[in-house]
Amino acid sequence: MTMDKDEIIELLTDELADQLEGVDRDELDPNLSMRDFGANSLDVIEVVTAVMRELDIKIPRSQLADIETINGLADKFDEHLD
Amino acid sequence: MIGARCAEIHSVKPGAKHDPLTPFHAMSDFDATDYSLADFQWNDNPDVLSPPKDFEEWSSDPRIQVAFDLFEQELQDSPSARTTMRSNIDGEAREVINLTSYNYLGLSTHPEVVEAAQQAADDYGISSSGSAMLSGTFDLHNEFSEQLAHFKQKEACMLFSSGLGGNMGAIQGMLQPGDVLVMDEKCHKSIVDGGTLARAKSVSFEHNDPESLDAQLERHSDKRCLVAVEGVYSMDGDLVDLPAIVEVCNDHDVPIYLDEAHSTLMFGENSRGVAEYYGLEDEVGVSFGTLSKSFGGVGGFVCANEPLIEYMKSYASPFQFSCSLPPPIVAGMMKSLEVATRDDTLQNQLWDNVEYFRENLEAMNLDLGESESQIIPIIIGDSAEQLYPMAVQAQQRGLFVQPIDFPAVEAHARRFRISVSSELTQEDIDEACNIIEDVIARPLRKSA
Repeated sequence: MTMDKDEIIELLTDELADQLEGVDRDELDPNLSMRDFGANSLDVIEVVTAVMRELDIKIPRSQLADIETINGLADKFDEHLD
Repeated sequence: MIGARCAEIHSVKPGAKHDPLTPFHAMSDFDATDYSLADFQWNDNPDVLSPPKDFEEWSSDPRIQVAFDLFEQELQDSPSARTTMRSNIDGEAREVINLTSYNYLGLSTHPEVVEAAQQAADDYGISSSGSAMLSGTFDLHNEFSEQLAHFKQKEACMLFSSGLGGNMGAIQGMLQPGDVLVMDEKCHKSIVDGGTLARAKSVSFEHNDPESLDAQLERHSDKRCLVAVEGVYSMDGDLVDLPAIVEVCNDHDVPIYLDEAHSTLMFGENSRGVAEYYGLEDEVGVSFGTLSKSFGGVGGFVCANEPLIEYMKSYASPFQFSCSLPPPIVAGMMKSLEVATRDDTLQNQLWDNVEYFRENLEAMNLDLGESESQIIPIIIGDSAEQLYPMAVQAQQRGLFVQPIDFPAVEAHARRFRISVSSELTQEDIDEACNIIEDVIARPLRKSA
């Protein structure tokens, strides 16, 4: 799948906006963490699972757990797409 | 290595894509130890009756199988300080020092408790044969509910057939869509599932952090909110910072739900729990406890004001639709309450053991986290490669400790969790510490 990092960020923020009620998609700053917008751990699992399925990749959760921001997640996903 | 992480973070190399329907062996650089139970929750198998195909591939890896083998090992004796366990690794049954059961005060085998249960079995049989609302409320249930409400200094109490059911049911009974459940990030799954069942919005705040809590309550100030915290956190053994939490909640006029699963009968002057220990019982809206930990039985209970309890009885599914607690359990638990509160003997034994155990563990320079209770973690770090062999060796030497791995705890803080019991003798603790020194502490020092 060819997809650049901006498109991955868009996927992440789309999924996050779908997951969280009352959050405007445009206010989702990728330099912040999903938790900053009120996501709980179940929300994060849902979003990450949906995006990895979309990208057709599977990265161990233990490698994602310490990544702080949406941007950092996109970088990690991007590595696995190259 | 259910949560194992390879030391090389890029062992799944860039370009290694994985279609969930493609078996892992098709991936040239697949390393099973990179993956954990957190990676298989989504099932893409079109056959609902089958697990994900990659789960079977992963779980049959011999290195992963060792971790599964440590689950569901058979105890062949009571869950006392010394018991007999049949190892799933080598098939041997051996006597072990038991640091894993929740039997903190040894009440599950206390002669008076067992006798009370036996008498109730003679009088009532072994089942209540009905839900509490229709036919499962006996004189024993009513008497015990009243005792627990009085014990917790609340107006009323409702009993549940499991601790998980109690948390799920109470939260389901209180919250509804549009409400917000605000949880400490280390809260138990039963609280999380309660929020899901209630279809409330669930958010978490950073562990024991009043500023993070304040931010969440500010964010949701236009909603009905409930703050859920635990007296003793089950993976770390630290206490809720209740004074700080109460202050924030009072500022926002939001009630507190306190889970005292691991603190009831052990903390406070009258052993009522952590709320009593802090002198803040009146600040707690709902007090939850289990009967499966210090009480030595099974079940859960929820104490609150009477109108709320009466209301929740009609809207908490685990209460309405479960068979109520078996009469022998209720009679046994009444005796547990009596034995544990008539004097401080068991608590004094427990805290003496905790102090002695801690001194010995600290002398080995082990990382015990922030533990302040009878739950003491030994945090070994990020190495699953060490965690599982250490667990197997300890068990084969006769020490029953279990590994706690990601995602149950953070990947950089894998650990063993010790549950101290009042029943342990000084000799038991000395022997346990010798094994911990040989199998855990010394290898950790060498690898450091």
